[in-house]
Amino acid sequence: MRSAGISASSGGGGGRPWQSTTSVSSSGKRIQKEMAELNLDPPPDCAAGPKGDNLYHWVSTIIGPPGTPYEGGIYFLDIMFPSDYPFKPPTVVFKTRIYHCNVDSVGNLSLDILKDRWSPALTISKVLLAIRAIFTNPDVCKFFQSILDNPLVPGIAHLYLADRAKHDEEAAEWTLRFAR
Amino acid sequence: MEDRPTDGADSEEISEGFLCCVCLELLYKPIVLHCGHISCFWCVHRSMSGRYESHCPICRHSYSHFPAICQMLHFLLLKMYPVAYKIRENEILEQEKKSGYFSPQFDAHVCGLHSSQELSQLGNPAHYSTTISQSNTCSDETIVLQKNCNGKLEVTRSVAVEEKNLPQYNPNGNCKQVSIANVLCAACKQLLFQPAVLNCGHVYCATCIVSPANEVLRCQVCQALHPTGFPKVCLEFDHFLEDKFPKQYSVRKDAVKIQQVHFQHESSTIRSTKASERGVNLSSEFIGEILSWWSHHGSKAHFGVGCDSCGMLPIIGDRYKCKDCVEAIGFDLCGDCYNTCSKLPGRFNQQHTPEHKFQLLRSSHDVMLSQVTVQLEGGSSENSENSSPPSIFPGDSQENAENDLAASISSNDTLEYEHD
Repeated sequence: MRSAGISASSGGGGGRPWQSTTSVSSSGKRIQKEMAELNLDPPPDCAAGPKGDNLYHWVSTIIGPPGTPYEGGIYFLDIMFPSDYPFKPPTVVFKTRIYHCNVDSVGNLSLDILKDRWSPALTISKVLLAIRAIFTNPDVCKFFQSILDNPLVPGIAHLYLADRAKHDEEAAEWTLRFAR
Repeated sequence: MEDRPTDGADSEEISEGFLCCVCLELLYKPIVLHCGHISCFWCVHRSMSGRYESHCPICRHSYSHFPAICQMLHFLLLKMYPVAYKIRENEILEQEKKSGYFSPQFDAHVCGLHSSQELSQLGNPAHYSTTISQSNTCSDETIVLQKNCNGKLEVTRSVAVEEKNLPQYNPNGNCKQVSIANVLCAACKQLLFQPAVLNCGHVYCATCIVSPANEVLRCQVCQALHPTGFPKVCLEFDHFLEDKFPKQYSVRKDAVKIQQVHFQHESSTIRSTKASERGVNLSSEFIGEILSWWSHHGSKAHFGVGCDSCGMLPIIGDRYKCKDCVEAIGFDLCGDCYNTCSKLPGRFNQQHTPEHKFQLLRSSHDVMLSQVTVQLEGGSSENSENSSPPSIFPGDSQENAENDLAASISSNDTLEYEHD
């Protein structure tokens, strides 16, 4: 038997690529299921749905949680689903600028569950909750623990650890400037 | 959870415990992982890594073997949700036809039989081969949704070939009443209490699984080895049994308690907590875990290739590739399965017979080293695969790439010679 997750270029020993079995329809069905679930029971302060006709391209909003320097901000995110979703993670990009050590200047997000810790049992709803959680608790340690994970904005992480008040002040100012 | 008259898919309220965590639909051909979590056959297969150890989508517990389908659950779901399950079957079959890869087919005759008979039949390799061609031959089938005189939806299939092999449903019939006879332990032949599923798909009470000292756990029904220690209780199944048969379940519970006091057996709950601790430890440092796996097995692994007998994926050590199986998915055995047991048909309905010839492939260090570098270049190499366009059929380019790879392997230090 052959495994599913290996592409031709990387499959050794004569392994055959298997991505083809995840037909577009099965990923589409799953995305539709998630959409229905999100409409029924959206996570707090979050909303998400397809951008247009394309089921694989969503747009989402997260409201900055109260008690954080992001309070009152509305953050727009782009979500792209791969064709072999949910076996590969969706790509999430911030469209609104944000002063946060896990989001770089073009909106790329560093979140472990969207990379090597992805699991097909995760849903967009859970991903949005995780993003909402890093608003409150930025993932600072990542930059010092792992060499494999490129630090996105180490400067902000350093400031967060060294001078929290200044970090929050800066973040609140960005919230005012970009997210309202 | 109760039996309801089934007016159609809508009236079959599917218990949340029987929804697959991956596709979010009714479980189809359920597989119970070592950690006790359930997912569909294809969902598990696609979730598996192929390069290194795989992890449960829910608890991230690591596992190295692709388990066989739990036929008890399969027939249970078929009985409880005949309409919805049938719809799922048709969907999946459609996808399988598109991809050219098939999941194992089970004989529907077994459906009405008691589970003990089911199990004994399933232990017999010949039983597999009788139904193996089913999905290939019924390519011209059509699904007809009919309204019968009661205004009830009935799913019937008009199948040109082998119609008798396919289950026929009567929405008002009693055949789908789930009885205790459907959920008996393979060992004690009583109602399952805290069911645990082995790698071969057979179900036992956790307390009935005897683990021989210093030996690998072996299924008493089919004699297949259970490679990864003691399986955890399948909690969803356990909850279902408790709901469905409250009286008998509590009787069993008391009986097991008394037994445990008498014999001072290690209780299954203790076992399962141990296992969960293990799972947590393993998931704590993902990259480190992969690297340590690589240092142990990397040089001996056949990436993306699994054993069709025990399910080991990737195969570590010798790999025997069938030269006569024509199915796209191929047929391979690991060294142990080649030397010891059965020459069972494959996990994907391959029409493998004992007459087929094998070719021994040993993994090459050079190829593996290049694999390591690919792996190290990014923990996010998984991401790069996202961008690859979807292909419904395995294309020529992929074929070529594989041939190139195969050529490079044989030009290295790979040993290839024939075996009978």
